[in-house]
Amino acid sequence: MPLQWFLKYRPKTLNEIENQEEAKKELVEWIESWLKGKPSYKAVLLYGPPGVGKTTLAEALARDYKLELFEMNASDSRNLNDIRSMAERASVTGTLFGIRGKLILLDEVDGLNTRADAGAIEAILELIEKTKYPVILTANDPWDPSLRPLRNAVKMIELKRLTKYPLKRILKKICEAEKIMCEDEALDFIIDQSEGDARYAINMLQGVAQGFGKVTLDAAKNLVKRKDRELDPFEALRNMFWAKYYWQAKSAVTDTQVDYELLMRWIDENIPYQYDNIEDVWRAYDALARASEFLSRAKTAGWDLLSYTFDLMGPGVSFASIEKKKPTYKPKWVKYQFPQYIQMLAKTKETRDALESLLTKLGSIIHTSKDKTLNDVIPLFVQYYKKYHEKIDKELELTEKEKEIISSLASFFQGEQGRELLKEETERGKEEGKKGRRTTYYRRKS
Amino acid sequence: MPAEEEVLWAEKYRPKSLDEIVNQKDIVERLKKFVKEKNMPHLLFAGPPGTGKTTAALALVHDLYGDNYRQYFLELNASDERGIDVIRNKVKEFARTVAGGNVPFKVVLLDEADNMTADAQQALRRTMELYTETTRFILACNYLSKIIEPIQSRTALFRFYPLKKEDVVARLQYICKNESVECDQKALETIYDITQGDMRKSINILQASSAYGKVTVEAVYKVLGLAQPKEIREMINLALQGNFLKARDKLRELLVNYGLSGEDIVKQIHREITGNEINIPDDVKVLLVDYIGEVEFRIMEGADDEIQLSALLAKLAIYGNKYLKGK
Repeated sequence: MPLQWFLKYRPKTLNEIENQEEAKKELVEWIESWLKGKPSYKAVLLYGPPGVGKTTLAEALARDYKLELFEMNASDSRNLNDIRSMAERASVTGTLFGIRGKLILLDEVDGLNTRADAGAIEAILELIEKTKYPVILTANDPWDPSLRPLRNAVKMIELKRLTKYPLKRILKKICEAEKIMCEDEALDFIIDQSEGDARYAINMLQGVAQGFGKVTLDAAKNLVKRKDRELDPFEALRNMFWAKYYWQAKSAVTDTQVDYELLMRWIDENIPYQYDNIEDVWRAYDALARASEFLSRAKTAGWDLLSYTFDLMGPGVSFASIEKKKPTYKPKWVKYQFPQYIQMLAKTKETRDALESLLTKLGSIIHTSKDKTLNDVIPLFVQYYKKYHEKIDKELELTEKEKEIISSLASFFQGEQGRELLKEETERGKEEGKKGRRTTYYRRKS
Repeated sequence: MPAEEEVLWAEKYRPKSLDEIVNQKDIVERLKKFVKEKNMPHLLFAGPPGTGKTTAALALVHDLYGDNYRQYFLELNASDERGIDVIRNKVKEFARTVAGGNVPFKVVLLDEADNMTADAQQALRRTMELYTETTRFILACNYLSKIIEPIQSRTALFRFYPLKKEDVVARLQYICKNESVECDQKALETIYDITQGDMRKSINILQASSAYGKVTVEAVYKVLGLAQPKEIREMINLALQGNFLKARDKLRELLVNYGLSGEDIVKQIHREITGNEINIPDDVKVLLVDYIGEVEFRIMEGADDEIQLSALLAKLAIYGNKYLKGK
């Protein structure tokens, strides 16, 4: 995969950063107060929606002031001890040539998981109190209740969504650098869809450019969907199956409203509708099967493994299609289905419960496990049930639902031919009943 | 005389006391000694299905405590209990009260003990030691090799062997007479040939055959034929013919409507593919079996069975497409 453009074209200095004049000014005043030895605040919290440049701003500041950056983000484990040890590392590590000091960056503090990152907020407060170096925190949502103690300990600096013209300057610069033909209307469309999120806009530009070779309005409309952090399952499936890049397929399965287990059912249902070639179907299913396996491993061996689940159920299923490699490839439009299997399970819950209780009753009488009862006893039991059903019903206290199960199991074991035989048998039984034979058993009892 | 109200023959004709057990002579003699002394070690019963392990355990406790043995006896099945914790708690609850009467201990029967993982068996071993003052364990298993050494060394081993032909046939004859069912000698011998001395299965086949009138060789074969689920073969054939969606529907039906587990189905697919009914070249069978084994392993590991088996059906469809076109 080529380098993502939003990383490649990330501004290196404060000067290059578009649109955040207010924030830049506040940040510069704050860092200079530190450098003068009289910090106005020990820490600042940069907050604002995704893709407006929080991390970029912190990194540019470090570069401009030649500060060594110590960074910790959401993908790192961040419990009390991790933060403490990082703070210690920052304060004892020797300074390199030409670097005047250090800057500590704790990215995405609203992503702290209160359970997995236990004690993190306390550790950050402790760090802010003791630190000898400036600290920058970033967050999308600073009003998260768990961040309240932090809000009082820092200077809050807000970053606003990028407005249209700065965003357009950024995209145009990239089009020129990449030597790509970009229609003005197409850029406007992308900007409109991005809602001031520069990362999203650049990602979309890259998607259209690399997918179609040039950025036209038609192409953009084809690929760029209204930005939505939470895709509904239909959109998630479309984005995943139609993805041209690994990251597209992966974010399709991570940015949805439905949880991953439910999404797996959606993918499961729709693979054979999306793919026509049976080899594609198998490759997709095999990837999904591996995803499901990694999910069960994640449940027992650790949630870190969940990441592989997403890789396999997203890109794994998406790139199962050989067709995709051909230059003439066009994604097939499919009306995706709600997972039938889930509906079946819901409808038959009662039936399955009845089977379970039937097996328990039978098993406890003949001293066998439910499993053995189903596999060894039921196939024979259903054949003699009919003859002895009055006594069996009474002895096992069978419910109507359980009786239904028995007759459906009987037809299951008998198949087409068996059902014919059974009919014959019943007919013959009636005949014999008329003749007064075959009733010896009941007569003896009564 | 068997209890009249019982309607499942396999239970109705189960010997109730050690004296009624006509075969497994050596085992019965040793068990009778325990009854006489009112003392016994932990026991391990090993042998194929239907050879009398459960029967011997039930008869033993019956003879030890009399007709009210139920209150001194806990029966557990390792395949039914979810995990060793459940077993441990039930044993703990049961062992809390001391046995009354003149037998100073209670008995726990743990059936299908070889279905427990080695770790669970280690935990079981500790449980056995913890309650050894008040409780004796009888473990029953099909495969002795699946029982860990420490348990084997702490129990008295009883090996059960398949019943002899004349014993099985005589018992079936007795049942027929008692139930007023007409039966051919040849049919009873056929039942034995099929079950190879598995008494429970023999009696079940007899009762099923009796549902079609006189028990003849034909009736026995009909019963067995009908006891083979056709749906799994149909599902495999649908997949091999390239009808993946229909095959997947069938799979879902098996899982949901018939309550089969993914493991049941994958095992059955294995049997069908390696059997003679499905026409696939032998070298292809080998490739398929490798994948079937992989699928079974993933299901055992806890992966979703419907997804795993759908992948397997797609694989079958590929092979069907490659090797069976035009056949």
